[in-house]
Amino acid sequence: MAVAGETVAAPAPPRTRLLGAERVNLVYWALVLVPLVVLVVFYIYPLSRVLLISVTEPRLGFGNYVRIVESTGVRRVIWTTTWICLVTSTLSLVLGYLLAYAILHMRSGWQTWMMVGVLLSFWVSILIRAFAWITLLQTRGLVNNFLLDAGLISQPLALIRNELGVIIGMVHYMVPYAALPLLASMRSIDARLVPAARGLGARPLQGFLYVYLPLSLPGIIAASILVLIFSLGFFVTPALLGGGRVIMLAEYIALQVNETLAWGLGTALASSMLITVFLMLVVLARAVSFRRLFGAA
Amino acid sequence: MQKQHLQTFAEDCAALLREVTDGRPVNRRAFMTACGLLGVSAGLFRVTPVHAAGREIVLVNWGGDAVTAMAEAFAQTYMADNPDAEVIVDGAGPSSGAIRNMVESGRITWDVADRNIPASLELGRLDLLEEVDYSIVDRDKVRPEHAGQWGIGNYIFSNVLAWDTEAFPERAPQSWADFWNVEEFPGRRTLRRHIDGQLEAALMADGVAPEDIYPIDVDRALDKIRQIKEHTIFWGSGAESQQIFRDREAVMGNLFNTRASVIRRETGGVIDFTFTEGIVWPGAWIVMKNNPAGAAVWHFIASTQEPERQVKLFELLGNGPINPEASALVPEELRALDPGSPENYARQIPADGEWYAEHSADVLNRYFEAIS
Repeated sequence: MAVAGETVAAPAPPRTRLLGAERVNLVYWALVLVPLVVLVVFYIYPLSRVLLISVTEPRLGFGNYVRIVESTGVRRVIWTTTWICLVTSTLSLVLGYLLAYAILHMRSGWQTWMMVGVLLSFWVSILIRAFAWITLLQTRGLVNNFLLDAGLISQPLALIRNELGVIIGMVHYMVPYAALPLLASMRSIDARLVPAARGLGARPLQGFLYVYLPLSLPGIIAASILVLIFSLGFFVTPALLGGGRVIMLAEYIALQVNETLAWGLGTALASSMLITVFLMLVVLARAVSFRRLFGAA
Repeated sequence: MQKQHLQTFAEDCAALLREVTDGRPVNRRAFMTACGLLGVSAGLFRVTPVHAAGREIVLVNWGGDAVTAMAEAFAQTYMADNPDAEVIVDGAGPSSGAIRNMVESGRITWDVADRNIPASLELGRLDLLEEVDYSIVDRDKVRPEHAGQWGIGNYIFSNVLAWDTEAFPERAPQSWADFWNVEEFPGRRTLRRHIDGQLEAALMADGVAPEDIYPIDVDRALDKIRQIKEHTIFWGSGAESQQIFRDREAVMGNLFNTRASVIRRETGGVIDFTFTEGIVWPGAWIVMKNNPAGAAVWHFIASTQEPERQVKLFELLGNGPINPEASALVPEELRALDPGSPENYARQIPADGEWYAEHSADVLNRYFEAIS
């Protein structure tokens, strides 16, 4: 009350100024406050609870984090997750690059249709996609039957229920996530530069390698970190396409929370994952501006 | 992240429902029905709907056909006897994590859950369950090993050996030793992605006599499973195990008897199964600590012990009656499918709930490591 009274009692000159820049500032802060409160209530608070459980269960200390490092079982899950995420990210990046490059260099009519194709895939749920891959790739699935009938193979190929199946499913999901930031980054490359290099005597491949590729590098870094971060959290795809033997972090955490009730270990793993992702985002922010990454600039 | 993606719409609807009903007297049954329609658990709300107390009892099970079957066999019959009572069947899945979360938060919406005896011991010792009130529930209507401190047997199910008769026209596999014999019985296998009934099978395949299975030699069992893991698909849900056989992805499997019965019927016997060397489990009712319906839940549980209702559940779902008296009431033509019939029970190994309560968490992690 006292503070409010002072403001009202303040001399006239500041009040007139308040109608200008400071009033705009106030509205600005009020607008920021709403999402800020939502963030604190729905994200920061629950996350801090998760962090807290990881250092208090079963007893106070960093025992759960020590267990992550020491347990061969946990290390194996982390290794599987890292390996699959790296392969998935690399493949998604290569395919996404080709896709983005192709879209950019199409006639504009085609460009629209290809964009529609990429965006449409966002609407198909990950569960449906996993089941679709099972139908296509299983032992008596469409692909194996076709190859057998065509005489190209004599034994059905093991395309799913192994690491290959998980990678196929994940790459399929991640390619658009790689292609869109790459597309945003490629759009900002001056289209006259490669022809200029060609004019100065560069061969097509040289023009690409020495001019285009370096210029698209920020897009590549952004896309690869984005894809890597998304890949870390995969749950449904490995469970359905991995034949039960490809166990990634998200599923292992779910096991600890739902089944073994080792909430301390589960939350320690979740927190470690979160910190890893956060560090990746810090690196990402240094490599490229977020506004450009999402096409705002 | 992915799982949340799937849930977004339903959760959004649920949030809307919560907004609409908040602060107003809402009938708990209507609330649960709405939740059921949205495919979300009322437990998500972490609120106790107004008028929750009283004569309403919420039974939670694992969803699918079990919701309608338990509603018909247990809920409707109980409501017919007690017109002022309401029993709601919720298929949200009473995982240990969900139960712990609900009880510890103090916002309890479930009364009774469909789990098993080992889980009742594990959760009971964590002080998450009410002790069974044997002044209301009849201990003599089940075998002695099925009347626990925190759980009372509700039906019987088994892990059985199923196989594709077309893959083995000359000689059918008849034991877990045959299951592990990939030379004479070539082809892909499927095991459950969980230790229950899988470790026992591995030990029997390795020559351990049925009476010496417990306490389980975990190293030996896991070594045995490692031997065939390259030939094995590990199924996560009962539906998945069924689908693996429908698609002919595996020639042999360790499945629930309920799923094996359905596949045998569906395929006209092309996929067959045997109770020999099966591992037989007691499903059990467990009651949340400080459940909203209070002691009324025990009257409901006692009613599910009636032989006719046990047989009804068996006919609808394939879960065998746990009340030995009920086995005699099973229609002649279905008797061969009843895991609890005297003949079938004698051919199987009863699972040791105490061993599981003690070791499940630790061994489950080791199993995951062994198969990955």
